[in-house]
Amino acid sequence: MTTQTATRPQLPLVVQTRRSKWLGQYVQTVLMYLSFAIFVFIVCAPFYFILVSSVMPKDELFEVPPNYWPSEVTFESYSQMAEGVPFVAYFRNSLVFATGSSALSVIAAGMAAYALARIRFPGSNVIYIALILSVALPQIAVLVPMFQTFQAARLVNTHHGLIIMMSSLMLPFTIMTLVSFIKQIPAEIEEAAYIDGANTLQIILRVVLPLIRPALFTMFLINFIISWNELLYPLVFAHHESVKTLSVGLTELTDPGSTYTKPWDMMSAMSVTMIIPVLLIILFGQRMIIAGLARGAVK
Amino acid sequence: MTTQVLSKPRFRNPFAGMTLRQRFYLIAVLLLLPAIALRVFTSFYPFIQTLYLSTQRFNPAYPPQKFIGLGNFERLADDPVVQASIGFTVLFVVVSTFFQIVFGLALAHLLNAPFRLRNVARTLSLIPWAIPMVIAALGFRWLFDDQFGMIPDVLRRVLGMDTRWLIDPQNAKVAIIAVNIWKSTPFVALVLLAGLQGISRDLYEAARVDGANWFTSLRYLTIPMLMPIIITTGMFMLVWQLAVFDLPFLMTGGGPGFSTTVMAQKIYLESNSLNYGYAASIGVVMVVIVAIVGAVGLFLFRRFDVSE
Repeated sequence: MTTQTATRPQLPLVVQTRRSKWLGQYVQTVLMYLSFAIFVFIVCAPFYFILVSSVMPKDELFEVPPNYWPSEVTFESYSQMAEGVPFVAYFRNSLVFATGSSALSVIAAGMAAYALARIRFPGSNVIYIALILSVALPQIAVLVPMFQTFQAARLVNTHHGLIIMMSSLMLPFTIMTLVSFIKQIPAEIEEAAYIDGANTLQIILRVVLPLIRPALFTMFLINFIISWNELLYPLVFAHHESVKTLSVGLTELTDPGSTYTKPWDMMSAMSVTMIIPVLLIILFGQRMIIAGLARGAVK
Repeated sequence: MTTQVLSKPRFRNPFAGMTLRQRFYLIAVLLLLPAIALRVFTSFYPFIQTLYLSTQRFNPAYPPQKFIGLGNFERLADDPVVQASIGFTVLFVVVSTFFQIVFGLALAHLLNAPFRLRNVARTLSLIPWAIPMVIAALGFRWLFDDQFGMIPDVLRRVLGMDTRWLIDPQNAKVAIIAVNIWKSTPFVALVLLAGLQGISRDLYEAARVDGANWFTSLRYLTIPMLMPIIITTGMFMLVWQLAVFDLPFLMTGGGPGFSTTVMAQKIYLESNSLNYGYAASIGVVMVVIVAIVGAVGLFLFRRFDVSE
């Protein structure tokens, strides 16, 4: 796009068009900010409504036509949510589930990725391709046998059962990203360590691990967000209140059998609290996450 | 690896007596073991079981489990709900992916443009991806609500449109697909942005000297250069979204009627009614569709991937 060249130093050989450079740049800048504004509106509008709904008095929330601005800010919905739903337990379960799943997936994927990226052995390509292709297998298509297996292994309604499942789901993408990252590290560093007499374990822990730590951390953040948001596995495999996650709790509010037909006040309050950790992670790690997502998908 | 060239290692270790090569194989196996075990336990093994179950009449509530060959598949071929769910799933996936890539490409250009708020824009585009689908689905369900929703209200005030969204079979489909495009376009844009950054600016400079305007350089430079990434991303989005569950499940519950029921929800419903054999056979159909999409994608990728 020509916008890219606009603010760069012009090459002396480039012939300027008849339209003056200043006008062209001006129009481009206006267009750029205009599209930026449209983009911001499209992305943020839904969150504005969720946030406003959560602090609106309930009778204003259910008015026709809808209100776009609360007459007063109230946290009634939040206190109602805290009473109506075992919110703290759900939040803790979500935290355990997301932390455990992302930790296990990053550890298992890191080990596998090192073997696949660095050690030549027969069948390594086949294993890599099989691991990556298995991402295409829809999780829901194999739900029934998985439920049977998990029941037989007494893994239903347990944290570790959910964590095993979720981390396995995220493995292929994590392995793919980490393999491409490890391959970029010059092998000479490890070879130097070998020559200095380090054994494999020492090399992995003292040489490789510090080098790939940023990538591991990035994948931890990405996987945390993915598992924090996961609905299907907890919905099917967690029926006890001791393991239910926020996503399941939120879903249950909308059950036809629940006492509220349109529990939007509680739903918006719960949504806001569920979004906050995700937003913090994004603000904190946006650069790493963008790089990690792009690397996994592009390579 | 050059390390294998080294002769006798000086350190003692538990692998004594093995050649260096054997030692490396053993280490590789140990490192791969957790990942492979996880995948086999939660993917490959259940997949084989699904294939087996799809040939059985199996409902724990009505015991005798029985081999019925392709009976389940005959049944689902005649099941109007399954047909409708396959139709809507394919429509959902194809339309979503198409617009995600078109809008994603446009957004990627904005994210790549030199302006002061570029980093803000990049951070913002992470948000729809990172937001739980549960919240997006429920939030939009409220926003599209016929009585209290803001979207119908705004459309009524601004455009004079009086549309019912989630209780009309056709409009419900439109609404769900629109929300899905909203949710994943920024993700696609971030991936395409990485591709855009990989194209040398000198090429654009050269194209400009040759008299290319923005459209010709998009058509004959950007898109061909991005083709491998566009195809990989498109394939990924197609395959990944085929298994969509939470969005329609929470936004419309599959209704009105079965107009927005996707295959995943049909599987979920059948397994909840303990029709395990039947649910498995729908799962097999889904895997077949994924395989077809994957094969087509691979074919396209080979055709367009001239750069490597």
